[in-house]
Amino acid sequence: MELTEDKDIKVVKELLQKLIKAKKTLRMYPQGNPIYVKTLEDLYTRFKSFFDYQDELTLKIGQNTIVYDSEQIYYNPEKEDNMALFLFKDGIKEITFKKELLQEELEEFLKVIVVDFDREKDKMSEDDMVTLLWEKDFQNIQYVVDETFLMDEIDEDYERKAVTSVKGRGTDVESLQRAYADGLEGMVKDEKKVSIMPPAFEEIQMLGSEMEKDSSDKMEKLITILFEVFSHAEGKDDLEDSIMFLKDIIRFSLTHGDIHTVINALGKVKSILDDSFTTDEAKKYMKMLFVYIGTEEIINLLGALLDSSSGVDEDILKRFTDFLDKDAIAPLVKILGDLKTIRARKSIIETLITIGGKDMQKLAAQLNDSRWYVVRNIVFILRRIGDKRAVDYLLKTMSHRDIRVRKEVIRTLGEMNGQGALQSLSECLDDSNVEIRIASARAIGNIGTDAAKKILIEKVSQKQFKDRDFNEKKEVYEILSRWKDADVLDYLAGILKKKSFFGMGRNYEDMACAAFCLGLVGNKEVLPLLYKFSDVNNKLLREVSQIAIKRLELGR
Amino acid sequence: MAVKEDRELISSAKDIINQLSIILRTANIHSPSNIAVTTAIEKYIALLNPLIKSEQSILLELIGEFFYINSMRIRYSLDYLINFNFLVREFKKREIGSVIFKDFMNPRDLQTFLKAFIESGFSDTPYDTMSEGIDALSSIKIDRLKKIKEGEDVDTNTRKIIKKTYFTAVAYIEGLFSKIEAGERVNIKKSKRIVEAMVDRLLDEEQLLIGMTAIKDYDEYTYYHMVNVSILSIALGQRLGLNKKLLAVLGITAIFHDIGKIGTPYEILNKPSSLTDDEWKIMKRHPIGGVRAILKLRGFDSTAIRSAIVSFEHHIHNDFSGYPSVSNYMDLDLYSKIVCIADQYDAMTSSRVYSRIPIPPDKAISIMMERSGTQLDPVLLKFFINMIGVFPIGTLVMLDTKELGLVFESNEVMGDRPKVVIVIDSNGNRLKGPVVSLAQKDETGRYLRTIVKTLDPNKYNINLAEYLL
Repeated sequence: MELTEDKDIKVVKELLQKLIKAKKTLRMYPQGNPIYVKTLEDLYTRFKSFFDYQDELTLKIGQNTIVYDSEQIYYNPEKEDNMALFLFKDGIKEITFKKELLQEELEEFLKVIVVDFDREKDKMSEDDMVTLLWEKDFQNIQYVVDETFLMDEIDEDYERKAVTSVKGRGTDVESLQRAYADGLEGMVKDEKKVSIMPPAFEEIQMLGSEMEKDSSDKMEKLITILFEVFSHAEGKDDLEDSIMFLKDIIRFSLTHGDIHTVINALGKVKSILDDSFTTDEAKKYMKMLFVYIGTEEIINLLGALLDSSSGVDEDILKRFTDFLDKDAIAPLVKILGDLKTIRARKSIIETLITIGGKDMQKLAAQLNDSRWYVVRNIVFILRRIGDKRAVDYLLKTMSHRDIRVRKEVIRTLGEMNGQGALQSLSECLDDSNVEIRIASARAIGNIGTDAAKKILIEKVSQKQFKDRDFNEKKEVYEILSRWKDADVLDYLAGILKKKSFFGMGRNYEDMACAAFCLGLVGNKEVLPLLYKFSDVNNKLLREVSQIAIKRLELGR
Repeated sequence: MAVKEDRELISSAKDIINQLSIILRTANIHSPSNIAVTTAIEKYIALLNPLIKSEQSILLELIGEFFYINSMRIRYSLDYLINFNFLVREFKKREIGSVIFKDFMNPRDLQTFLKAFIESGFSDTPYDTMSEGIDALSSIKIDRLKKIKEGEDVDTNTRKIIKKTYFTAVAYIEGLFSKIEAGERVNIKKSKRIVEAMVDRLLDEEQLLIGMTAIKDYDEYTYYHMVNVSILSIALGQRLGLNKKLLAVLGITAIFHDIGKIGTPYEILNKPSSLTDDEWKIMKRHPIGGVRAILKLRGFDSTAIRSAIVSFEHHIHNDFSGYPSVSNYMDLDLYSKIVCIADQYDAMTSSRVYSRIPIPPDKAISIMMERSGTQLDPVLLKFFINMIGVFPIGTLVMLDTKELGLVFESNEVMGDRPKVVIVIDSNGNRLKGPVVSLAQKDETGRYLRTIVKTLDPNKYNINLAEYLL
């Protein structure tokens, strides 16, 4: 079937519009997406329909125009979204799609033209569209490229000048005749010493496996070379360059999620530093790499990697963070507040627990961070490190504006004790916030010393304590019961025996707390006392006493 | 051709060539009725007949160094290399340019074809013997190798394109050096485009582009050398079956291999006499300088990394001698070993300003053979010599006809029978041509011309450009 010329132009115009639309659609949807697949199939069907009556489709590309069969089928004077300009600027002057075009080829072609070369400038700085098309090596898509693209900075007359110059040194006849005469002399066929031996099968096999191996990543090799370059350094510039490249590699590798390469490189740095033959000057430069990995730039990349879907294996991270020094503390704390996943935050906290101890002052300085949750994490880290030198810094954080931080500090002080901690915690027992008061009591309980006990007993004995909520009181009494000694036993028994005519309600609450705690202390000597209260009228005191008795009798 | 069948043909095409090669090799050892041969024949027919049915006929053509099936060039990997090369040689030996399989094939037809093929190998007129041997067959026909049949040479336009590609590359490198020295920004995209063009030209007209590297008398050795090494490396890579993309990477790494010379003072680089020890020391720093220059210029994309590696290693020998010295070093990169061979060959045959009179190409090959296994990778060197020939382009040769000539194009099948441009005829008259093939025979089957002696063209100040450009 043949189409009329007008119809033909119309079909190609529509096909081109479909192609332009497909370019946009494929940029938006991932491969395999139903819209992606449908767009591709529709476009391919258009091509196939066209090839039902034509053998090829050739489009001539101008700066703003696309021409088919001498007919302009596309015009766009704009710079944006200009299909003609898009092809033209890399030197493409003509594209031909052949009848045998495969759908796979069309898809690969679209993959090339959907690349936003301006946006992807950094990633693909060495490739333009012609290179990408060339690499695809299409069988059924051909293109003509105007190579003046290559010549715009090259002397167009270069070839003529070079040829004229080299031919200008003509062969002089005399020399040529001398060569001829020498050639005629003793004209006996030389036995060629070199014969052409095709490579043997085994040799080709060996080469084949070498080529297979050759496809592996070359970054490791480059790193080895850079260390060699470093070892050949003849001056400051050489050393600085080598370090700069190694820094670049670290940054590049982490950007591409390759922490293994970085670890291996750092391992090499460490062995150079450990080598007694390494000069002090070289060591000085090598150490810069350890400093570099602790900078904000690298730690941010590490954070992004930890937050990524692939994450970083715990052991691998440990191998990396083992190389970090105290300078990494501040950047690590900084990303701690920025990380999105719990897994990533946990990893950084563990890292800070490891390296934080190298410089407590640096870590503690981060307690001034404006983000409460970061401060709370640092307090946690300080607690995990367990170095009592942190207490001073923690005491200063006791007055943090956020209660969650204060609670974490109180808990930490309770676990660490340390000079001034008890005093400070004691003051917190009078805090206006009940959570703080309870947290302080727990912390004091954790300290567990006689002094701590004394503070708690004193606190419980105070008149204002009686006015507190029953649950708070019960909690504090329970804490007191951790000291299972005579002091506490006598004190609790004393509460129980104490008579009061005023405020009996409150008194019953105290007595119930004391009875309950006597059960917790676990000394059966108090059973007779408890029996006395097991049938009193006050329900609370009665029930609590019965529970305490049961606990003591059953030894639970 | 329908799309589906097209795909099937692509996947079967390599097998068509590979299996034919296997049958012929087997038939060379066993008689055509041997079970090894008959099994191979059956297998081949099972492959061929369905394709003939869908395509009507299968045309296997040899053009240059490559096979085409139904006009489609067949690319091959290293796995097929031995069989492909064997078939190329055997076809060329018999001057066979194409075989067409049509109609339904049966084992008897193929056995007749094999018998004729083997017998023609012993004939002085192999094509005619082969042709007669299969004359009765209607299902298999052959045609003569085009260039031999028509005696045609490469057209002028192709030569123009080749020259343009070559000089554009040199001009680019010269510009690149100037820009880097001036601290200007360099367009790396162009280097890719230039190398891609060289790869394309090499795939089409390998010998012509290699021929361009034989002319060594240009003013600026460094720039031409970088392009020559790139061309020779790509050509070698092609022999190893590297695909287009890898050839481009190899070409780029090779073109940048001496970029470190940018840091070498001009007076040393262009010193007209031998270098002093101190100057050599500086010169030997260029591989390290290359690493620095490449990484500064191009960052860490995979081609840049590869280029830096090749720049560093191209003077480190196969046995780890050479320079720079290395400690705790792993294997040398495959591309480095390729570039090392190309570099040595081009350097030895060039009139390098700082060294001495260049070595004639055939002598350079002899020297390189002596370095096989020590300085140079022995397997890659074999491939290289197969490519360049024992009489490489530019070799000055005395013929038994008392004609003096320059090797113009290598002959892969018969290494000692290249094409030669006659520069002095048998009467001692100076000429600029014709170009003759030393593979040509007279009616009695004797070769018309044979090389009896090689001479050093540099000793006689023969300007190769006059004859080869």
